[in-house]
Amino acid sequence: MTVHAADAAPQDAASGTSKWSRAWQSHAPGYLFLLPWFIGFFGLTIGPIISSFYLSFTDFDLLTSPDWVGFANYERMFTNDRTFATSMRVTFTFVLFSVPLKLAFALAIAILLNRGMKGLPLYRAVFYLPSLLGASVAIAILWRQIFAGDGLVNQFLSIFGIVGPSWISNPNYSLWTLIVLSVWQFGSPMIIFLAGLRQIPQDMYEAASLDGASKWRQFWKITLPLLTPVVFFNAIIQTIEAFKSFTPAFIISNGTGSPINSTLFYTLYLYNEAFSYFRMGYASALAWFLLLLIACFTAFSFLTSKYWVHYDD
Amino acid sequence: MTIRLGRRQFLMGSSALAAAAAAGISPAFAQSALRLIFWGGQARADRTYAVTDLYEAAGNPGLEAEFLSWNDYWPKLATQTAGGTAPDIIQMDYRYIVEYATRNAIAPLDDVIGDLGEFDADQLEGGKVDGQLYGISLGANSVATLVNKAAFEAIGEAVPDNSWTYADLERLGEAFNSAGNGMRAFSDGSGTEPMLDNWLRQRGQALYTADNKLGFTADDMVEWFQMWDGFRQKGYIVDAETQALDTGAPESSMVAMKRAAMMPSNSNQLVIHQSINDDELTISSYPRIAPGVGGGHYRKPSMFFSVGGSTADREAAAAFINFFVTNPEAGAILGVERGIPCNAAVREAITPTLDEQSQIALNFVANLGDLVGALPPSPPAAAGEIDLNLLRVISQEVAFGARSPEDAGKAFVEDATAILARANA
Repeated sequence: MTVHAADAAPQDAASGTSKWSRAWQSHAPGYLFLLPWFIGFFGLTIGPIISSFYLSFTDFDLLTSPDWVGFANYERMFTNDRTFATSMRVTFTFVLFSVPLKLAFALAIAILLNRGMKGLPLYRAVFYLPSLLGASVAIAILWRQIFAGDGLVNQFLSIFGIVGPSWISNPNYSLWTLIVLSVWQFGSPMIIFLAGLRQIPQDMYEAASLDGASKWRQFWKITLPLLTPVVFFNAIIQTIEAFKSFTPAFIISNGTGSPINSTLFYTLYLYNEAFSYFRMGYASALAWFLLLLIACFTAFSFLTSKYWVHYDD
Repeated sequence: MTIRLGRRQFLMGSSALAAAAAAGISPAFAQSALRLIFWGGQARADRTYAVTDLYEAAGNPGLEAEFLSWNDYWPKLATQTAGGTAPDIIQMDYRYIVEYATRNAIAPLDDVIGDLGEFDADQLEGGKVDGQLYGISLGANSVATLVNKAAFEAIGEAVPDNSWTYADLERLGEAFNSAGNGMRAFSDGSGTEPMLDNWLRQRGQALYTADNKLGFTADDMVEWFQMWDGFRQKGYIVDAETQALDTGAPESSMVAMKRAAMMPSNSNQLVIHQSINDDELTISSYPRIAPGVGGGHYRKPSMFFSVGGSTADREAAAAFINFFVTNPEAGAILGVERGIPCNAAVREAITPTLDEQSQIALNFVANLGDLVGALPPSPPAAAGEIDLNLLRVISQEVAFGARSPEDAGKAFVEDATAILARANA
């Protein structure tokens, strides 16, 4: 098509329009099919993002029109809001523990599944299932039951004569139940690791075996270095997901972050500011700070990646 | 035409509407039907829809009604209001009426509501903001102690009547502990705002003053936390870990989970709690601070109907509200599920038809006697934040031992004062 258009250009007096219309004719169906996505992307994603940036400099309370307040919202965040600090701490703890644990777990299962066992598709599906269910309301409610004082976990512990605490309602453990919930949803990084493991040439392992390298050594010297691009990808995706995590904490504490704000994720605090206390302006500022934070983390990961990610070239 | 929307139908319907709007077709009922939104469970929805059917059968314009749970309700209403698509008739709570009224998100009703008949004066007063009527009370209720009758029978103690005191709570605490069946006398009420309010009022104080300030000092708050801490340490109330399992839903309450024989509640909620409990329940007053001391309770409007601030036809919306609270047939359908009807004729008409639990609730509110004090001023803006973000958190900090009662009392007053100052600047 492009060749034809270029050929036609010098001959045609109305070359511009012709070129355009030809190009348009060839691309129009594509754009037409993309139209629903464009409407969604600009109307429901980009539009609100831009307007929330504006709102973050206002005192918008949902019910009356916004007034410009300059940087007051951002100033309050860092100078005069203890709950902001609390929610930051909760979210950072969550990210710091849930992401590495989840990746380690996903990698371990992927290596197990990679040994060419019988019924692999079935196991793969079963292990992936929690990822599909994990963010659902039903699972969050189930989690409450499992980790409550007389829940499944404590019934199991009581077999060994251990009297467990009420995990979900004790501020020392409540965040950990959410970290466990997140690690349990290891399915999607596992599938990606599995695909990555398949890419590693078998002859490397054969050569290493001949040289007498142990399985353990093979893992550290062959598997992991060759898998680093996949680890890098998974780490970034999971870190972003962890920062954005909202549903489980919202359902399990009924939106309160209880007990004693120990599960008050940053996103939950943001939601409460917007919809419980009607401070949409402040909530917008919180949202933009989160966006900035995630961007910084991602940029940092990319900057350090050249020191530990080995591409095959 | 009455339209009922569950969550799924709502999704399907709204996409159909969006499609229709995109195609330039304006749905026929968009012109005539009033939109009504309320929070509540299925039982409330069934009763409400029966009344909208009745209203329509009498030849009035139809209603398009939608209901949500309490937690989902406020974000939805706020978003719709912000988007300029607020419903015509809005169920409103005492806590939010000032915020909505002062921002003109709901409209004054004085000139459109018409004749409400013989309507309780204190309930009308409760719907006023700055002297103008913004909400019509759908029923009177009062705070009440929810009591598991069966649990008291099991340990051979009498169910507390309206004369019972905090000293009795200690005595019953001992009785339940010596019964040793794992049930405590009371739930942890230290973070329950109405209980604190009631306790302060009995002492001649108030939670909030009319000029949006705290009606008590740090010393009072220290005393409050110390009292509950004492109960907790002696095992009269449930421990911190157990109390934290209560998310506010009736099925996670300490009485429903059989962890406590009593807990703070509201008179109209007896119906709901009984529906999920196999033990027989009843209600009595909150404990008195000393024998014979009253004035803590008041007849509170349990909820209101308000008219949206941007509503095109305020008269039509107000006419439905008038029908809802003054029509005896509607009253018979609604019962006391939203509280005791405020219109005298409706109240008399329905009394003989009520079931036993509803009778208990009705008699309780009618016979509060010396327990009733003056109606407090409407809570200031940010009262919700002080309850959710401060009282609950600090009371849990004390319960889990992360703060001393002395420290907690001071911190509460300091932070609450700051929140009030910011919100009411």
